[in-house]
Amino acid sequence: MAATAGPTGRQHRQSGILALLVLPLVLFVVVVFLWPAARFLALSVDNSDISGNLPRTIAALSGWTPESGLPDEPVFAALVEDLAEAKRAGRDGVLAQLVNQRIVGTRFLVIKTAKDAAEGKLDMRPISESLLQKYPGWDSPALWREISRQKSAFTDYYLLNSVDLMRGADGGIVRVPAERAVFLDVLLRTIWISAVVTVICALLALPLAQAIVSAPPAWSRLMFALILFPLWTSLLVRTVIWIIVLQKNGPVNSALLGLGLVGEPLNLVYTRFSLYVAMVQVLLPMMVLSVVSIMRRVPATYMRAALSLGAPWFTAWRRVQLPLIMPGILSGAAIVFVFALGYYITPTLIGGPTDQMVSSYIAFYTNNTLNWGLGAALSLQLLLILALFAFLYWTASALLRRRAAA
Amino acid sequence: MMTYLRTVSAVALCLAATTLTASAADPITVVGWGGTWDKAYKDGVWDKYTEQTGTPIVQEEWGGEVAKVRAQVQAGNVTYDVVSTEAPGMEIGCAEGLFVPLTPEITGDPANYLPGTLHECGVASDTWATILTYNTDVFKGDSGPKSWADFWDVEKFPGKRGVYAQAQFTLENALMADGVKREDMYKVLRTPEGVDRAFAMLDKIKPHVVWWSTTTQGIQNLDSGEVVISDQFNARITNEVVNEKKPYAIVWDAGFFYGTDYWAVVKGAPHEKEAVELLKWFSIPENQAGFSKLYAYGTGRKEAAALIPADWLQNLPTSPDHIQFGAAYDNDFWTENKEALEERFKAWQAK
Repeated sequence: MAATAGPTGRQHRQSGILALLVLPLVLFVVVVFLWPAARFLALSVDNSDISGNLPRTIAALSGWTPESGLPDEPVFAALVEDLAEAKRAGRDGVLAQLVNQRIVGTRFLVIKTAKDAAEGKLDMRPISESLLQKYPGWDSPALWREISRQKSAFTDYYLLNSVDLMRGADGGIVRVPAERAVFLDVLLRTIWISAVVTVICALLALPLAQAIVSAPPAWSRLMFALILFPLWTSLLVRTVIWIIVLQKNGPVNSALLGLGLVGEPLNLVYTRFSLYVAMVQVLLPMMVLSVVSIMRRVPATYMRAALSLGAPWFTAWRRVQLPLIMPGILSGAAIVFVFALGYYITPTLIGGPTDQMVSSYIAFYTNNTLNWGLGAALSLQLLLILALFAFLYWTASALLRRRAAA
Repeated sequence: MMTYLRTVSAVALCLAATTLTASAADPITVVGWGGTWDKAYKDGVWDKYTEQTGTPIVQEEWGGEVAKVRAQVQAGNVTYDVVSTEAPGMEIGCAEGLFVPLTPEITGDPANYLPGTLHECGVASDTWATILTYNTDVFKGDSGPKSWADFWDVEKFPGKRGVYAQAQFTLENALMADGVKREDMYKVLRTPEGVDRAFAMLDKIKPHVVWWSTTTQGIQNLDSGEVVISDQFNARITNEVVNEKKPYAIVWDAGFFYGTDYWAVVKGAPHEKEAVELLKWFSIPENQAGFSKLYAYGTGRKEAAALIPADWLQNLPTSPDHIQFGAAYDNDFWTENKEALEERFKAWQAK
């Protein structure tokens, strides 16, 4: 059989076995990562918790405009029916929370009305009268306008919110009030911090990697171990150590005071500076590893040849060494940048409020205010930036390869 | 992780116990706030219950997210029996029917409870206060801050301020510093101008603030000298002063707001009946006092105060000496406005 199968048959069998071997990994990634992530991201446009719980009310509101005053009796009847059903299905809590997000101060209004509706306490006709008498909160055109807008099972509310926009009174897209606008700043800040950390890492990694490559093997191994050492320590521990080192009575300030370099302790911790220090320490090994691996493949003779031909050292380095190790710097930069974008614990612990990055807001909305829609919208934002930079990286390395081939 | 391990080992132990003695009851899962708080409950209250009734208690830890209870109830897969939740969570959970209503037969006469410590669906697990504290090594003798206005006065009391990075507590403190009386607080905060006024006060102190978001971090900033005056939960300062002999003082008469967390039984819990029995037992003053004897937070029953040694009682916000300077957080206000105000606060902080 083996003889008749021939090379193509064997190849087929091999790729079949390969697929079988990879299958568990693919399944694992899909089941525990891609699927839940997609479900979470879908929350950023999901409106079914409002539209699905108020179907009759929203239908009855078609044709109603805020200018015509409060809605008619059928709308109130539909509302009571919808809320009673939501209460029986146990969906009233979510509905109340979401309505309160849009019109603050309506949470108990919705919950209490739903409770009474389910218990049949609101069927005295005309319903509008008995409802408004008990819960005057429904006498609000703004609230009705908001409900009338929830026709679709999808919403752009969270996506707009995540770039400091919202729907105005007339339904057009407007900027949110200045005191609430924060996400564009945070987004730019996140990209900026990640970029600065990447550049610092690259600048520090180049001489370090050169030293590791040029040193005798024993020294090289020792230096490597020292650089890898932080990688083996818990992220939390590393960050907290920096707080202790940089704090007001910490060793750095004591040394500066002792040397008479400063008159009073500097504010080092909870600043952008301390954030950069902690992030660079954590991410530097990635860059060094990446650069070292490519530097080892560049023969030292190239630099020597350039120097012997009379090029000044820096010119030789810039025109011979740098282009050859560029792929290593690029892939190192990609890793550092991507890691930095998602940083959460380090900025939370060691940064001030103006140093917080997108992730900390995602955590805030998911855990703290339970506004999962906005958390998902911000996650999507982060994912899009990642995709953009992945594309840039891919283009840059393709360009490099083409230039190297030319 | 520790909670997980603790739970797993507790469950394993209980399983072992049930196989050994067939009569041993199922454990009741009680969900608290973790750390020293849970330990005080275990040492002061739950161990006593297990001793008296043979029913073991398994402790779990959470952050008070009512959405978790809601998810469990909706999925028909409730794993919590009793939870401690903050007042807004209590209001929402009770209104949504997630918690079992408690009758006076279970809790005892409502007249025997301090105001605000008994709820339709819950009985106080602890009453905490957010107080003004300062370092007595920095401000010696009588030179310390005496009011929230002093907290804001960085000329007279130089040094960084520790402030809890959240709107609730901080807005109240800012308005107290601006001269708003405690009894008028929520009248003011319910108007947009009142909220703006609080943020305007916060603008003034912003450059001098070191924010904290976990109590441990807040204490660490006091310890390291990073801040000299701070807001903090009262029991945490008492712990540091009594157990660690640290130089901090609580300024009760600067005014403080207090809040109550409640024990509630989750509807449809695996041991709902036993859990209600547990709360009935817990409603006896002697049993409630067990926690407050170990942890400087107050408890619901008025009679409990008499069971707490006088020198320890003065650490409690509900002690007769201090309660006159306190006012309760308005739960209705915070339930509806928390999301919007915390978001605005977070945006303000980031500018």
